[in-house]
Amino acid sequence: MKRHHPGLSWPRADPDERTACHFCDAVQPAPRLREGEVARCGNCDEVLYQNRPRSLSRATGFALAAVVFTILAHSFPFLTMQAASERTELGLVAAAEALFADGDPLLALLSVLFTIVAPTLLTAGLLYLVMPLIYGRALPGATAIARLIQRSEPWSMLEVFLLGFIVSLLKLGHLAEIEFHIGLWALVALVVCLAGAMGGIDRRELWDRLEIARMSGPDTKPEPAAE
Amino acid sequence: MSGVTPGAFAADRGLASCHCCGKLSPVELGRCPRCATPLHLRKPHSLTRTWALLVAAAVFYIPAMSLPVMRISGIGGGEESTILSGVVTFWQTGSYPVAIIIFTASVLIPILKVIALVWLCLAASGRASGSSRSLALTYHITELVGRWSMVDVFVVAILACLVQLGSVMTITPGPAALSFAAVVILTMFSAMSFDPRLLWDQRRNVRIPTH
Ligand SMILES: [Zn+2]
Ligand SMILES: [Zn+2]
Repeated sequence: MKRHHPGLSWPRADPDERTACHFCDAVQPAPRLREGEVARCGNCDEVLYQNRPRSLSRATGFALAAVVFTILAHSFPFLTMQAASERTELGLVAAAEALFADGDPLLALLSVLFTIVAPTLLTAGLLYLVMPLIYGRALPGATAIARLIQRSEPWSMLEVFLLGFIVSLLKLGHLAEIEFHIGLWALVALVVCLAGAMGGIDRRELWDRLEIARMSGPDTKPEPAAE
Repeated sequence: MSGVTPGAFAADRGLASCHCCGKLSPVELGRCPRCATPLHLRKPHSLTRTWALLVAAAVFYIPAMSLPVMRISGIGGGEESTILSGVVTFWQTGSYPVAIIIFTASVLIPILKVIALVWLCLAASGRASGSSRSLALTYHITELVGRWSMVDVFVVAILACLVQLGSVMTITPGPAALSFAAVVILTMFSAMSFDPRLLWDQRRNVRIPTH
């Protein structure tokens, strides 16, 4: 078991597993890797999969931090602007609300999907999936959640929002008195944590672990590389 | 291409790697035994879908560029700005970083992305050529960079949220904002429906049914 081989921490249901390169379709053996190693396609040199060090605890840590920062980013405004005796506040919800109020409900909906729904789904989904996997467990619906995470990943655009924020600031700079708040730093931290959480674990590793957790059932100890 | 013998490709053996979890299974199973995603040797109708979404994106690009992306109303009357006029204004007022960011994200990236996908589609159907390395690089850049085009839509949302100064100055989104979001979303879907394995099928001169 993995305790005797600390480097080979990636369990696999079928030890003779083969894989096909997603880029060129060449079939090749898919050996378990030591932590930090990367498997590349023998035909086209694409990355096939990689074993990131302490992947589960890293993903869990980042996802937990992301929960805290999500709450903070939604509880405090990013900035307040004071101009012409009017005061306005910016937040993720406020930005979508402004689009809605200005008669663009579809754009408001997209904004909510890209900056609120997708990042929150990623964070919550990762926690629900990865934290139990540390103990070799899979909670009910874990497969559906794993698929959902993969689907929503490209649509989580907080980092793009952040760039838009910087551009807007450069645009407004001379117009008004601007004050930054905790919400903004929480947003920056959230972007970092989401990137860390998603980058911390390999897609195939996640599915291999999930497969084993489901095979071993809720009340039995996981048996990696069962034979 | 060293080290790969004929028949070393999954599709030749009737094996499909799952689009979702990557597991290799016989395509006759219909669904992936691990994650229940439908199995296909290649993404279904990959080229047709990629082309159709590209054309749709190109169509939406016209209103996105020609209509106003935001309206600025204030004491001095109203003013409308398109994406391009915004870039020009920034350049003239000396805000070079903003001008460059908006020009790159809103003009350069969408156009280059469409050109890149057209090239990939042509290469996959044998009507254009390219080294496997440059095609692979193009594919990865196309996948990574597309979402950043959404930055202008967020700028409009942020400005509309912040600049609500009653009679002094108010910014509201214009019709181009939604068209532009459509361009970004359509090109993202287009890149997702492209199957890079078709490039290798073309190279090997085999045709795998894509339904
Ligand atoms: Zn390959
Ligand atoms: Zn699968």
